[in-house]
Formats: sequence, C-alpha cells, structure tokens
Amino acid sequence: MAVEVKVIKKPGRTVAEQVYLPEIAKGISFAAGRFFKNTFGPKAKKEIATVKYPEEKVEYPERFRGIHRLTQRVDGSPRCVACLCCSTACPAQCIHIEPEEYEPDDPRYGYERYPSVFVIDELRCIFCGYCVEACPCDAIRMDTGMHMPPSTRREHFLYDKETLLSIPGQDGTYLTANPRHEPGDPTHPGVDRERGH
Amino acid sequence: MPKFVLDGREISFEPGETVMEAAWREGIEIPHYCWHPGLSVAANCRMCLVQIESGRQMAMPQLTFDEAKGEYVPATKPKLQPACQLAAAEDMVVSSTNDEVKKAQASVQEFLLLNHPVDCPICDQAGECKLQDYYYEHQGTLKRKLTEPVHKPKGVRFGPTIVYDAERCIMCTRCIRVCDEVAKDHVLDMRERGNKNEIIVAPGRQLDHKYTLMTEHVCPVGALTSRDFRFKARVWFLKSGEGVCTGCATGCNTHIDFDPRYGKVYRLRPRDNEAVNAFWMCDDGMMTYQRHATDRVLTPTSGRGEDRIPIGERQAIELAAEKLEGVEPSKLAVVLSAQQTTEDNLALSKLAGALGADRLYLAALGGWEGDDILRSDDNNPNRAGATQAAGGATLRTVRDLIDDVQSGDVQGVLALGWASAERLEELAPLASLDAVVSLSSHVGALVAAAEVVIPVADVFEVDGSFVNAKGMTQAFRAVLSTPAGIEPGWQAISALGAALGKDLGFGDLDGLRKGLSDSAEAAQ
Repeated sequence: MAVEVKVIKKPGRTVAEQVYLPEIAKGISFAAGRFFKNTFGPKAKKEIATVKYPEEKVEYPERFRGIHRLTQRVDGSPRCVACLCCSTACPAQCIHIEPEEYEPDDPRYGYERYPSVFVIDELRCIFCGYCVEACPCDAIRMDTGMHMPPSTRREHFLYDKETLLSIPGQDGTYLTANPRHEPGDPTHPGVDRERGH
Repeated sequence: MPKFVLDGREISFEPGETVMEAAWREGIEIPHYCWHPGLSVAANCRMCLVQIESGRQMAMPQLTFDEAKGEYVPATKPKLQPACQLAAAEDMVVSSTNDEVKKAQASVQEFLLLNHPVDCPICDQAGECKLQDYYYEHQGTLKRKLTEPVHKPKGVRFGPTIVYDAERCIMCTRCIRVCDEVAKDHVLDMRERGNKNEIIVAPGRQLDHKYTLMTEHVCPVGALTSRDFRFKARVWFLKSGEGVCTGCATGCNTHIDFDPRYGKVYRLRPRDNEAVNAFWMCDDGMMTYQRHATDRVLTPTSGRGEDRIPIGERQAIELAAEKLEGVEPSKLAVVLSAQQTTEDNLALSKLAGALGADRLYLAALGGWEGDDILRSDDNNPNRAGATQAAGGATLRTVRDLIDDVQSGDVQGVLALGWASAERLEELAPLASLDAVVSLSSHVGALVAAAEVVIPVADVFEVDGSFVNAKGMTQAFRAVLSTPAGIEPGWQAISALGAALGKDLGFGDLDGLRKGLSDSAEAAQ
C-alpha cells in the first residue's frame, strides 16, 4: 500500500530579513522611540510599568499583609492570651510562643494567660495571614502596611514580643478594632455571687 | 449471659449491670459526662438519656402547637431514661440514637453550654474536651440565649495542685466523687443551686490529699486544671506513649504525653488497668515524669569533685574496664538498682557472674509513705525485678556496702543507677576507693561518689520491664529516643563486658530476656 505523503513547506526568510540590517534598524528605532517617550515625554503618555523604588512607591491595596503586630489592651498589656492557635495554624512554623500565667494578686489575673515569649521569624514567614485568621482575640494583625526593614543579620528578623507590640497599625493605633469581653475588662459585670445574687 | 438490644446490637450483661456499663464493656460509647467507670452513679448530667423501646411506653405530658386550632394542645412524648442508672434487663430494647434521643442530647448539650464562657483558646482542656467533642457530634447549632451569661469565679486555687474555673464547670460532681471514693477524703462539695452552682473546698481545708490530680483527670471539661500542666502545652501537639510509673512498687500504668518536636515529656496520665491501678494514679506518681529531664548525666566523666572531667564514650568504657580489672573479683561489689529495668539488672548480674564477683548489693530509694489505696510502701518500681535478675541471690543494702568498704572486704564498686537512699556524706568510704564505676542516667549520691561515670538511657528511652510488688512483670517500650551517644543500660554493660574480655552471652534484648526467664525459674 502506497503511503500518502503531504509535503509541508518550511517557512523561509525574505531577502530583506536575510540581509539583517533593516531589521536591526527597525528594532533600534522602536526601542529608542520608547526610551525618549518614557524619559522626556509627558507623564500621561508614558508606557512603563515600573517605578523608581524606593524614591517612588506604588500604593498597596487596603488589605495588604505587611509585617505582624501585636495589639494591646487599654492598660498596655498584650491582647494575646498565648493560646497557640496562630502557631498551630502557621504553615511555615515561624511563631514561637511560651505562655505564662498572671499571678493571683495581679490586677490582670482575670486574663489568666499571656505570652512571656512571642517570637516571629519574619524570614521564615510566608505572609499567608493564617495566624490573623486563627487568632480568637484579634491580638495578631498584619495591617501595618510595612515591609520588613532590610538587614544583613538574621537575628534582626526575629521579632520579639516588645517589637511586635511597638508597631502601630496603618491607622496609627496600637489597640484592636474588635475589643473582646474578658473577665478583667471594665465592661465585664463581675462575678454574680459577689454582686449579691 | 442475659442479653439486651442496644441500637439493634445484642449486648450481653451481668445481672445488676447498667445499660451504660454493659455498653462500655462492649466498646460502645453512649454520650455521657458524669458517669465514670470507676465511680458511683450520679445521673445528673442527663447526657446519656436513652429510650426503652420495648415494653409499655412511659409518656410525659407536654403542650404542642396545633396549627389547625391555632393554640397549644395537650400531647405526650416518650419519657427517656439515663443509661448510667438504668439496670439492663433481659430482652430490653434500648435506643441511644433515635430522633427523640438525639433531640434530648442536643438539648442537654445546648443547656450545658448556656452559661459556658467558651474560652477554649485559653483553656487547657481544649482538644480533649467532651463539651467540644459532643458539640460537634450531638449539637452543632448556635446558642439561642443572647443575654449575659452568669459569671462565676475563675482561676480559684483549690490547693497546691489544682485550679478551678466555675464558669466552665458543668457540675457533673466527678471530682467530688473521686475525693470521696478514691481518696476517701470529703474535701470537695457543691454550693448553691441551678446556674449559681459551684464546687467548693471544705472550709478551712485545701485540696491537698494524695490524689488531687485525679480530680483534674476525671473532669470532662476544663473546670479543673493542673497547676503543673497549666498553660505548658496544647494537647493537640502532644503524642502519647505507654509506660509504667516509676514512683513506687505498685507500677501504675501510664500514658506518657510528650511533644515529639522537642522530645519533652509534659505529663503522665493513668492508663486503665483493672489488675493494677484501675483508673487512678497518685500525685507523686503523676509527677515522676519531671525526673526525666532534670539532673541528667549526659557525658561520660572521670575523676571526682573538682577534678571531674568529661571524657569520650569509648575512653570511658576502657577506663572503667581498666579500673575494674585491677580489683580482685572477690573484693568487687556489684550494685543492682531497684529503679532500673529488669533487663539492665540482669545484664549487670550476668557481668558479675562472668567476672566471678559474688558480692551483689541493691541500691534503692527510701523515705516514702504508702497507703492502702494505690501507694505501695516501697517507692522503687523494680525491687522484685532486680531480685529476680540476680537469680534469687540475697541482695544486701548499700548500707552493708559502706560497712564492707570500711572493713576492707570491698575494694571496687560497679554500680547501676542513680537512686540510693544514702546521702553523699554517708557514701564517703566509697569515694576513697579508686575503682568505683557508675552507670547512670541521672546524678545522685552513688554517681557523685564514682571515679568513672558512664551515662545510660532513662526509663522513657528504653524497652524494658518492671516487676511490681504483686510480682506482675509489666513490659514497656521506649517512648523517646536516647540522647546522642547514650545507650540503654544493658548495652553499656555489654560493651563494658566486651572491654573486660567477657562474653555475656546475649546480643540483643531478646537474647537477654531469654536469660531472664531462666533466672526467673532459678529464683523460684
């Protein structure tokens, strides 16, 4: 049986392309045109996606996940109760917390626990925001709108409790937007039997 | 055996048993809070309500809304019974899953959570809490009560070991019953009624008997928390191994809860064993896990006191062999340990036999009070095992050893383990000998008196067995891995034997244990 053969013609080059020089001139003129347009032309006509970082900055979306901060209560104590929900949820395992208990004579005894150590390894963090999702107290937030300040030392990226508490949110506040009703709070009605029930 | 039917499954029961007990023995869980197999029946949580479908139905009057009439009309619904208090009867048909029962379970669950603070993130019980489990299994609805919950005291210190949170408490009274029935000390009781209910300690008392941690252990919710474990770890990070308590000769079975990421043990929990400890353990036993990580010996050393210097592992074995070779076998004392596994003791007594040393001693702890509940009078887990390993030979005490050293009958000592009742000052005669070798996992007086110290693995890190005061051999497996460069005691002893040019006749644990059954027979 005869095999049917279909001949496909190989695409060739035209003489003008074969000579190269006109093509080079075409390319240079295109690039030069863009160069002059973007460098000297009016701003509205520029066709360029990049900015001159860090002199110029692109505005981030409102929900941009920046470096973490720990929110505070009105009395300045960390809102965090060291429940370890964030470090449980963290896929990068970059959060290290050691819980501690307030002593009975402490006015904050009602909050029961607090983190004595709270360290986030910002280098290991993948900024997924799961810790913020997991937090039952709105104690950890990523609304700082900040990048990590660059450094040449690894230790500088281990953010401890004091550092995290000292970073304000984008709106400049250290408090949370969602106060929680805790036994130590002024809003808490107190133990029923002590109120004479 | 008579039988009844639970959810379409035939279950046999002993006459007098309740439906709950019979089901529990068969491995079926009827949801419950207040019932505990080791405690009396209180039937107050109402979570275990079931319907008896056979026989005449008891009816409870209620009002239902009649759409047609537009008003409430009298009606009935089946009366449910608590399974924990319901005696099983021949051919009884019981349902714990029909619609009426499911509705009751969901309602009870919602009722128990009405005033619950839902502070799971700060609660130690989260992850092993029955309120959480049953919420998902039997409720799954939102709370309908929108008013402020009743507030009760939180963080009340009941004693040196237990903290109480009344808001989380569901008033199942298990803790009260543990104190009454296990510890035989009525130190807890209940005050007030309804949603003001709370558990209190007897006036002028603290919760300070020997079984306080059992109240926390039986608490199905986070109301009672142990001050030792409080806030240390989250239970979902913990893995559990099975062990035997080293606190005393009762040999209570334990769950060893550890964090595999750090190899750190956080707590012990009693493991059910009807023949030994039933469901319970004493406080001191629960705390024995703390020994594991404190005062470990991790590097081989030579020299005493100020002159003690770390040496290599191989070097330590060779140095020990050299020292021991310099002692006449008849003047070499071999000290077994009532705190080490039977296997370690057996390997050591084999080495003693191979060397021809027949002076065997036993180091043991003292200073402990037993009781007639669980605590044995002897606070060494393996005195019987060490005696067995020695082939029934009489084992003299460390005090005898001191006398023998002073009289010059003993000129070299090979000691296993850290535990001895004697203090270092009392062991001063030993410290004057040159050939004193100690194989130990922890520091102790015997170790401090030794010239050469070879570290060995701790009880959590080895496969082994203990023989308890009743003569029961209880084997357990390694839960943690050994620290770098450290071997189980029997392996270190085997290496020491090889350095002394003696073949102890075993290559692995199975070979060693074969020798154990021989010596157990010899002991009888």
